[in-house]
Amino acid sequence: MSLEPFQKSSALSLGVELEMQLVNTHDYDLAPYAEDMLRLMSKIALPGAVVPEMTSSMIEVSTGICHSSAEVLGQLTQIRDALVKSADKLNIAVVGGGTHPFQQWHERRIYDKPRFRELSELYGYLSKQFTIFGQHVHIGCPDADTALLTLHRMSRYIPHFIALSASSPYVQGQDTAFDSARLNSVFAFPLSGRAPFALTWDEFTVYFNKMAHTGVVKSMKDFYWDIRPKPEFGTIEIRVFDTPLTIERATALAGYVQSLGSWFMNDQPFMPTEDDYLVYTYNRFQACRFGLDAVYVDPATGGHMPLREHILMTMAQIERHAHRLDASASIHLLRTSVERNDNDARWLRERQGEERLLAEVIRQAADRFRGGVDHEPGGFS
Amino acid sequence: MNEIMAIWAEWIKPSAGLPTVQWSILLALAAAAGHLVNRYTGLPKVIGYSAVGTFAGLAGFTGAAWPLQGTGLFLLELGVAVVLFEAGGRIPLRWFRHNPMVLVQSLAESTLTYFGVYWLLDLMGVHGVVAESLALVAMAASPAVLSRVAIDTRAAGPVTERALVLSTLSTLYALTLCSARAGMLPRGEAGLSDTLLPVLVVLGLSVVVAAVLALVLRTALRVMSPTSENTAILLLSLIAAGAALASNFGGSAPLAALLGGMLLKQLNPRPWSWPRQMGTASSMLTMLMFVLVSVVAAQADWSRPVASLVMGLVVVRMIAKVAGVSLGNAGSGTSWRQGLWVGCAMSPMSSVALLLVSQYVAASSSIGGQVAVIALPAILLMEMLGAVLATVALYRAGECSRPWSPVVRGASTGPVHES
Repeated sequence: MSLEPFQKSSALSLGVELEMQLVNTHDYDLAPYAEDMLRLMSKIALPGAVVPEMTSSMIEVSTGICHSSAEVLGQLTQIRDALVKSADKLNIAVVGGGTHPFQQWHERRIYDKPRFRELSELYGYLSKQFTIFGQHVHIGCPDADTALLTLHRMSRYIPHFIALSASSPYVQGQDTAFDSARLNSVFAFPLSGRAPFALTWDEFTVYFNKMAHTGVVKSMKDFYWDIRPKPEFGTIEIRVFDTPLTIERATALAGYVQSLGSWFMNDQPFMPTEDDYLVYTYNRFQACRFGLDAVYVDPATGGHMPLREHILMTMAQIERHAHRLDASASIHLLRTSVERNDNDARWLRERQGEERLLAEVIRQAADRFRGGVDHEPGGFS
Repeated sequence: MNEIMAIWAEWIKPSAGLPTVQWSILLALAAAAGHLVNRYTGLPKVIGYSAVGTFAGLAGFTGAAWPLQGTGLFLLELGVAVVLFEAGGRIPLRWFRHNPMVLVQSLAESTLTYFGVYWLLDLMGVHGVVAESLALVAMAASPAVLSRVAIDTRAAGPVTERALVLSTLSTLYALTLCSARAGMLPRGEAGLSDTLLPVLVVLGLSVVVAAVLALVLRTALRVMSPTSENTAILLLSLIAAGAALASNFGGSAPLAALLGGMLLKQLNPRPWSWPRQMGTASSMLTMLMFVLVSVVAAQADWSRPVASLVMGLVVVRMIAKVAGVSLGNAGSGTSWRQGLWVGCAMSPMSSVALLLVSQYVAASSSIGGQVAVIALPAILLMEMLGAVLATVALYRAGECSRPWSPVVRGASTGPVHES
């Protein structure tokens, strides 16, 4: 199968996908309600789409094409409210977070769809361990070469994205000591990690054709890269974010990506090189392990600095672009959280420190996701 | 069998008394049978427990005399109370606000079951009061059997959850109405309309015990961890005390436990995590309950007229449950197919039904006796057949974590988890 042509899209347009957890309201373990949620959600007129994911306790929602983070928030609010309404009807709850803290992977069931069955046969238990939840952000690129250039520029900021979105410190009932343990599960897949260093679509097509010739891949869907081009949408898709606990944070992350994209496309601040990837895996590990407390190795200079400082420095660099794109509120939300040294992983750990019961932490996280929807003080039982 | 028992009683003088030895051996056999049934057929363990109890009952085992009284009755009440407390805790009242059709399903299936069974028994010439009593007993599905089936098949999902909730609600109605109706029996054959006051009395007294139980537990949970073993012991002990006291005050022990679970869920919305901690103690109590039910139920007299009445009751009850659930299915969030499986999963009829019959017998030996003649075989049949039907329903609904595959020695293709 050959690589499909890169479609035209509006530069810096946005699309956000969120993989969500479905939990029961009894012991707050994952609950296999995807099919029922899809049925109920299909009856509500919404922007974007709602689709199944690999296992039956997951659901993926996505916005339509947006042009600002405000528009993203508007669409996500509609989708979130519909999710909460449908979940209430089924007596379950919807939760963000990159992992479910205490679910047992072997209890998961593969969603009944041909592609998921094929993947399950190929990857065995890895497919059930793929019950992890991420946010994907699509950013529109005017042409294929700009897309690849933006992709490789963006890869220097992968640690930023990981640390800002990290919300998966617990796996199988244990604190992993990572802020984002989710990405360790992604790394188990053979076609995960970084995209090959190709700065033009022609070079990329050669690479794709060679891979297709080996029979290892059939389409772009088979690559689980941290950032991958999405030719059918005319976008690049950033896939390293854990699903945040709130739609406000998910929106802010999209606004941050959009502002960075604007900086890259309009100011051409630097040229990516293959050597950027010398420190890529190390930086990625640092961000997963330590979150905002990570050390960041600058790929250009080799200098070491706290990731927190580098994020704040970047925010200052893109402020003008954020303002122009009406994404200042997004940057403000993230900057405040960095200054307070606070991300969702920390919130989860603090709640667990207080409650000593991961199920209660999930209940409170579900309450947090509801936001203003029919909020019942003291929890919702 | 009795001769063997007599010889045995002469031969050994155990410290805890012969009945203790007999029950211990019976439970050991039941545990082994449950395990083997589950391992080699994939059916739930409760079928093995019931089979051993049935065999013992048919063989004339005298460890559980009918009508139940004393320790036997208390253990049954305690077992039912523990199960119903947990089942009550699965019912968040806010769900009915968001999805009132679940309540419609519940009321429809219980009402249809009552009128369906009453109509059939009346048609087959059963006396009015007896038919009415049996119709009330038939309303109660068994959350005890269903929850054991769900555990053994590792089932989870909308059908499992809804069947458990509807079974619990049907049990709530049956416990309230039967307790009140049984209380009226000695005063003559009053109609259903005359039982309103007794219903309020039973419900009111049970609510008081339930509220005390829930408040004490909520207070305890403010300082104790729900995952602690001590909290589980505290919970079991309080349910036992509640069970012993509720009937004494004129309420119903299982009803008080069920309402206590529901109230605690409202007062304390935190996750329900102690059933896992109760573990083996709770499982043994539940197993004892199933064995006791089948030992007692097997003592029933199986004649041809009784058999046809029992078969008729079982079939009409099942049709009524499926029809009732389907009637309220539109707009309830489940598909028609799921509605059908929910109705099937509500087939089991077990310990609660036995308790209700026991109440009738205690209230009036003549009417109670007539009720028991038909109810006991029906309970035995539906403890086993109901468990099979519920298993099939959960598998067909696609809610079990693995396909139905009995383990065959030497043919295992993957890791097997003991449970």
